[in-house]
Formats: sequence, C-alpha cells, structure tokens
Amino acid sequence: MKALGYALGLPAALVAAWWVASDGSTNVFLPPLRTIVEAFRDVWFSDTFVRDVVPSLWRLAAGYAIALAAGVVLGFVIGRWAAPRALTGPLLAYFRVLPAPVLIPVLLVAVGIGDTTKLVVITVGAVWPILLNTADGVRAADEVGLQCAAAYRLPRRTRHLLVLRGASPQIFAGARQALGLSIILMVVSEMLMSTDGLGFTVVQFQRSFAIPQMWSGVLLIGLLGFGLAKLFELVERRALRWHRGHTGQLTERP
Amino acid sequence: MTSLLEIAGIGKTYRARERTVEVLTAIDLTVSEGEFVALVGPSGCGKTTLLKIVAGLLPATVGQVRFGGRPVTEPPPGLGVVFQEYGRSLYAWKTVRQNVELQLRHLDLSRARRRELVADALDAVGLGAAGDAYPWQLSGGMQQRVAIARAVAYRPRLLLMDEPFSAVDAQTRADLEDLVATLWKRYGMTIVFVTHDIDEAVYLSQRVVVLGAGVSGVQADIPVDLDADREQIGTRSSARFGELRTRVWTQVRRTPESEMV
Repeated sequence: MKALGYALGLPAALVAAWWVASDGSTNVFLPPLRTIVEAFRDVWFSDTFVRDVVPSLWRLAAGYAIALAAGVVLGFVIGRWAAPRALTGPLLAYFRVLPAPVLIPVLLVAVGIGDTTKLVVITVGAVWPILLNTADGVRAADEVGLQCAAAYRLPRRTRHLLVLRGASPQIFAGARQALGLSIILMVVSEMLMSTDGLGFTVVQFQRSFAIPQMWSGVLLIGLLGFGLAKLFELVERRALRWHRGHTGQLTERP
Repeated sequence: MTSLLEIAGIGKTYRARERTVEVLTAIDLTVSEGEFVALVGPSGCGKTTLLKIVAGLLPATVGQVRFGGRPVTEPPPGLGVVFQEYGRSLYAWKTVRQNVELQLRHLDLSRARRRELVADALDAVGLGAAGDAYPWQLSGGMQQRVAIARAVAYRPRLLLMDEPFSAVDAQTRADLEDLVATLWKRYGMTIVFVTHDIDEAVYLSQRVVVLGAGVSGVQADIPVDLDADREQIGTRSSARFGELRTRVWTQVRRTPESEMV
C-alpha cells in the first residue's frame, strides 16, 4: 500500500500541477489539460480507435514478434557455434549501429508505402538487442550443465533447449529493450509513410492545427508504451522467477 | 570379477602456442564390475582430466578407454556423473523432480516406470519430500543429493564422481560419504571417485589409485582391506585405517612438485 502510494504520488502530483497551471492557458500550442482530456475522449473513444490504433498495434505486434523470433534464432546460432560467430562478427558490428529509420527512404522506393515497409523498419530496428543478448547468453551457457547433459546423452534438441532456457535472462533483457525500440519505430514509420495509425494521426492533427487532439495522441502513445512495458514486466517476473531465486534475489522460501 | 572399464595407455597433451603440457602419460587402469575405486593425487596430476576422458567428454591424445568392452568415443549409455559444482550441474529453472527425471525422458521407459525410478531415487537420497522444490531453495548438501539422485535414477553401471563433496561443510560431507557408500551397496554400481582428500578415499573405496603429477603411468594402486561395513568414527580411528592413509599419503607426497596449476 505504501509502495503504491510512493509509485503513484509523483505522477499524480505532476498531473495535478499540469492541470492547475494550464487551466487558464490561452496559448494555442499549450492548451489546458482539461481541453486535452476532452479531446482524448472525443478522438479515441470513437471509430478512430479502430481506424488508427488497431493498425498501429497490429504493426507493433507483428514487427516485434518477427524481431523476437529472428533475434532468438540468429542469436542462438551465432552464440552457439564459433564459425557463424566469426563469419558474422564484422557484419553485426556494422548493422547494429545503423539506425533503422534510415531504411525508410530506401524501403519507400523499394517496397512502397504498405505495411511491409513498416514491419521491416520495426523488425530491422528491434532485432539487434534481442540477437546480441541472445548470442551473449547462449555463449555463456554453463559448461558444467552442458557436460552433464552430454554425459546423460540428452538428445541434441533437448540440449539446445537447455541452453536457450539458461540464456532466457539475457533474452528477456534484449526483448525489453526491443519493445521500447519497436514502439518508437512504429510511430516514426507511421509519421513518415502512412495513411493511418497513431503516428500518422498525430502528424495529421498537428498539420490541421488540431492542437488538443495532437496532444491527446501523444498522451495515448505514452500510455500505450507504459502499459506494454508493465505487461512485459509481469511476464518477465513470472518467467524468470527461478533466476531471481538462483541468484539470491528472492527472499521468500515457499 | 569381470572388468567393466579398461583404460589403456591414455595420454593427454595440451598444446598452448609455445609449449605443450603433458597432463597424463601412459595411464593403464582396469576397474572391475561393482568395484569402488578412488582416484587421488596432487592438484595438477590430471585426475579430473582422466575422469572426463573416461566419460567420453574429452578426447585422449593417445590410448584407449573401453567401457563394457566397447571403445569410448562419446559418453556411453549406462554412465552417471556427479560433479563438484552442484549449483551449476542442476538446471535452476527445473524442480528437483524435473531435474532427476530429465535424462530418463529419452530412454525407452513407460511413464509409470519413470516416475517410480524418480521417486525411488529421491527417497534413496532422503529427498522424498522435496520433489517440488527448486534447487536454489535447498542447501548445498541437499543440492548435491539431487545430483546423486539424478545419477541413481538413471541406474548407471558406472558412476563417475569428481570431487563431489569438496564444496560442502564437514558434517554434510560425512553424511554424503555414508550416503554414497550405502547407495553403492544397494544398487551395485561401479564407482570411480576422484578426490583430493586421502581420508575420504580410504574411507570409501576398495582401492585407492594414486596419480602423480608429471609421472608416467599410475603411481600406486593400493587395495583397501577394511571391513565392508564402515562407520565414520570407528573405521577412521582403526589402526588399519591409519596405516592405509599413511601409505597413500606417502605416495601422494612422493610425486614431484607439479609445474602446472
């Protein structure tokens, strides 16, 4: 209860401060929070939700899922065997520092404005932290555990799964970073090349001087990111309970 | 007695860039079915290396290991292992029961038989009630019991133990030694037990094999003619025990100082 109070205290205070400070605002670009909240209700509790939020969420989910699958598979191969690691080393070093949005103009010409382009941008940008963390985690697989698995003649598939599960704390760390990146890339790609979606809508509002509506979009994207991060945390806490226990971060002994 | 394990002319050389390090030279050793052999020697004598070669986890540079008459090129069926690092040899995301059951899953066993083997093994090590716990919820000694249960459930013909009790406290160590002695008799396995503790070697085994650092072949092979029924206080304070440990000690101390670490 006390923890909850601490967690909510500052955000509540800031929102209240914003509310009071902006209440009499006549600045067109900084409308009263009251106006923004009204705009929020009018804009997002309507068919705009289906038209713009659903496509955004779909792109985010698909792009992130592809990045997750590709990152884990490639990271596993690169982490597990020396030859692919040596082969891809310089290439990885190059691509990991290449900012994904730079692909947008290229893809625009090559693929067009459709969903594929946005998915590619999200996937290409988000795959790196997953791939690199997975490779690190797989490479650090415990030698003793592997020797036990070999001595007891566990099938290859089982041994791969053991390595992957052992690497899951690093995989989750990468996936968490990738989630944040995916949201950014989803919004950016929609701002630059789209006819619907959250990013597109915010830019549209700004261009048509619908400032409270623009603000409400910013608010929604923030809330979306926050909600997804919390959801991720929930999944991670469940999946990595053993890791906290193993590393002595769990005090209870059920 | 028929021989289960034949180690013939095993040598292991590690090549670093500028120098070669010979860890094992011309080791010959035969272990009979049902025997309990302890392997001792100063650090750097290659006892762990020898164990890994026997397990098929490490290739020898020269020589051959035969297990049940077949040359060992990879871990053979019927082999159990218990390593010193219990915390790393168990899978922390699996419960005790899942850890013990894992290597039975790909054997041709019915579900019922598998469960029976797991339950029996957990009972045998005194962890019958801890099946649903995770390894990290247990003490070090109990974790090592899980590793032993994992081996027992597998019903190995040969159990290789690499300094299994080096990381636990003295009281736990004595308990675990007696546990291994009991299990050895009960399941009729052959055990090769690597340790740097000479008292432990004499207390547990029927034969102590001494490896020397930088020595060709086995340095000494000392039969332990103590009663089959041993007991921590009585056995360890007997005159014969004292003589045997002195003999082993003398052999271990005789080896030249190792140049390797």
